[in-house]
Amino acid sequence: MSAVAPSRSAGAVGDIVRDLEISRAWLVDPASGREGPGDIVITDGVIDAVTWLDGDEASGIDDRGVVAAPGFVDLHTHLREPGNEDAETIASGLAAAAHGGFTTICAMPNTTPALDDPGVLESIRAAAAASSSPMRLLAWGAISAGRSGETLAPLGELADAGVIGFSDDGSPVASAPLLRNALAYAGSLGLPVAEHAEDPALTAGAEANEGYVATVLGLRGWPAAAEESAVARDLALLAEVVRDVPTARLHLTHLSTAAALDLVRRAKAAGLPVTCDVTPHHLALTDEWLAGARRWAWDATGDPWADDRQAIVAPPYEPSLRVNPPLRSVADAAACREALLDGTADAIATDHAPHTSVDKVVEFGLAANGISGLETALGVVLAMVDAGLVPMRRAIDALTVGPAGVLGPAWGDRPMPRLVERSTADLVVFDRSASWAVSAEALASRGKNTPLLGRDLPGVVLLTLAGGRLAYEAPGD
Amino acid sequence: MTLADREMRAVDGAEAPPIAVPSVDAPPYDQPVAWRHRHLLDVDVLSWPDIELVMRTTDAMHEVLARPIAKVPALRGRNVTILFYEASTRTRVSFEVAAKSLSADVVNIAAATSSVTKGESLVDTVRTVEALGAHILVIRHATSGAPYLAAETFSGSVVNGGDGWHAHPTQALLDLYTLRSRLSGDGETSLRGRKIVILGDVLHSRVARSNLWTLTAAGADVWLCGPATLLRGFEAWARRGVAERAFRVTTSIDDALRDADAVMALRIQRERMASGLLPSLREYAARYGLTQERLALARPDAVVMHPGPINEGVEIAPDVAAGTRSLIEEQVRNGVAVRMALLYLLAGVRS
Repeated sequence: MSAVAPSRSAGAVGDIVRDLEISRAWLVDPASGREGPGDIVITDGVIDAVTWLDGDEASGIDDRGVVAAPGFVDLHTHLREPGNEDAETIASGLAAAAHGGFTTICAMPNTTPALDDPGVLESIRAAAAASSSPMRLLAWGAISAGRSGETLAPLGELADAGVIGFSDDGSPVASAPLLRNALAYAGSLGLPVAEHAEDPALTAGAEANEGYVATVLGLRGWPAAAEESAVARDLALLAEVVRDVPTARLHLTHLSTAAALDLVRRAKAAGLPVTCDVTPHHLALTDEWLAGARRWAWDATGDPWADDRQAIVAPPYEPSLRVNPPLRSVADAAACREALLDGTADAIATDHAPHTSVDKVVEFGLAANGISGLETALGVVLAMVDAGLVPMRRAIDALTVGPAGVLGPAWGDRPMPRLVERSTADLVVFDRSASWAVSAEALASRGKNTPLLGRDLPGVVLLTLAGGRLAYEAPGD
Repeated sequence: MTLADREMRAVDGAEAPPIAVPSVDAPPYDQPVAWRHRHLLDVDVLSWPDIELVMRTTDAMHEVLARPIAKVPALRGRNVTILFYEASTRTRVSFEVAAKSLSADVVNIAAATSSVTKGESLVDTVRTVEALGAHILVIRHATSGAPYLAAETFSGSVVNGGDGWHAHPTQALLDLYTLRSRLSGDGETSLRGRKIVILGDVLHSRVARSNLWTLTAAGADVWLCGPATLLRGFEAWARRGVAERAFRVTTSIDDALRDADAVMALRIQRERMASGLLPSLREYAARYGLTQERLALARPDAVVMHPGPINEGVEIAPDVAAGTRSLIEEQVRNGVAVRMALLYLLAGVRS
């Protein structure tokens, strides 16, 4: 008998959930820090009752079965509309997010045209409305006009229109003066700047994390120092700016190296208003995969060719592994997990980057950067949890209250992610004891570019409710 | 113990089984041939018996090339398509001569004159050459790993004719063949203890990478030498390498050349100056050029090699390149025989 026991289907996607009972699940409420066995009753889109079970009633329910948690928040999603709808539309991206257990996603502005003008934001909102998806779609505005890195976009107008902050993601802000100005200007608007930290001169033509694997494979090296030096510069500018503009905030997205995370750790200890996120792929995958290894980062040695190449189970140079920042060393992946554990990393963000096969099924060095990640994020994170490396509570925090906290005031008037009575039902229910096979057909995203195709991932999303409405429901028997 | 020793040693100390050299006058698919690789994409997957089989089959091909009519009908009716995305004369012609000496039909495609310039993808191009009847596809590409993508699409055999900085398997095998014929004693097949120096632009060199695998497999004492900017990453590789694949990395040309048995100089390209990796060709020639004077540090019978094309007076002095110790022309001759052997062995693989 399923633990999710609606008497009938929860309805059609977009419909208000009228009457649903989630019984005998493991409930996680990050806002209060409480977790345990319980039942949830949802009536007319609102959590009507949360009943925490104990004693005999709770027997047989643990956190390895069906889990209910607030809907996940993704700080870093690439939707390709407008401009490259073959790779992803707003509708397909929202469907992918719902399938992944997310209920709020923050779209990056590197569309064509870039989101550097309130009109583009309007068109995105119109497309979201037309999709009839109940998902909450937030958007970052561009830092520079046309993402050219030269002059500021109309940050004030974009703030008035409702962006959550600013980013030129896909590219770093190469100009230190421009980033300094953006931090001050956005700070005065109360919004964060999300920076893709990379020294582009050090990574010109780079293909793979500089190190042993790239050397053997003959791939152009992408040095860790390119991230570390950019983070050091960004933090120095932030320290300068906050003296004048105390509301300035810097968010460093998809950090991937031990050294950069250590800089953030020290900056936070020094009281700088900086936050950061790490991606599922940098937590769990390493550059060994480029050589054809397919073991998780925590099982990896860093030498796929050792022991008569036993670790190599796939062809090398799989182009879906090309991503910016690149998959790093075993030690860097461990540093990402350490940062997640000690709070240096505030959030897990997917950096969902869908691409067409035309852009991706090509020579490794010519492939577009990016991994389609919304739908595999939970499974990858749960694999890490299953390995005993990060407690599930911490992982769920980093997918819910962590990213909401990064947005701060920009999170808006909604409550923080929580599972409490009389709040709008915005939650995910997944079965940790089940697994699913990642396949092109199973992905709602148009971007099938994931190195996890063919792999079984733990954790099947059974139900996603966003804003009291049905966002995703697993197909019934 | 070298890979050669380990893999050639039979169980419980008995003699290793002899390598059965095919009868190369007959097609490979008419006889049992102990070759199991459908493609030749890199040398890292070759076992020592595989490498020995290539060496012995190359001996047989040399015998063919010494005949008055230097041709066998072994690959009659087979189509070898040579698809080169990078300019090359010597490797392309070597493959062509090798294929024709086996009586294969040869199709040559230079990417500059094909629909590649119209934006056709590699996958589409490979499908097209397959539809045009290719059985064996020899591919050269500026992007590391491109032949693997071709191999996933192509239903015949793919031979890597050089990909980016990554691999040049046929060059490494012809270099091994050349060294073996000069340095190994009678009946010795390995290069155990022989000091072999790879000198120059190691960073950008697919020849260096492929030779690292084959020469360390043969038990040679391999030294990589060049300016620090052109050795980037190799110290990390050397540190990682398991014991039987050990090699040395140094910026000191004197340390590298002292008592060397063989020196392989690599081509220096002018682009290296523009990207700030080298101050000037003049400075490179002065500090790392292979001259007679420097060669005096090596063993008296040391040999000199170069994969070509040569910048005379930069990485190698003209009198060294043309001198009595130079095996450069022998490398070219052996290249045809090695490629014949490889095309022959690949043609025998049953899919």
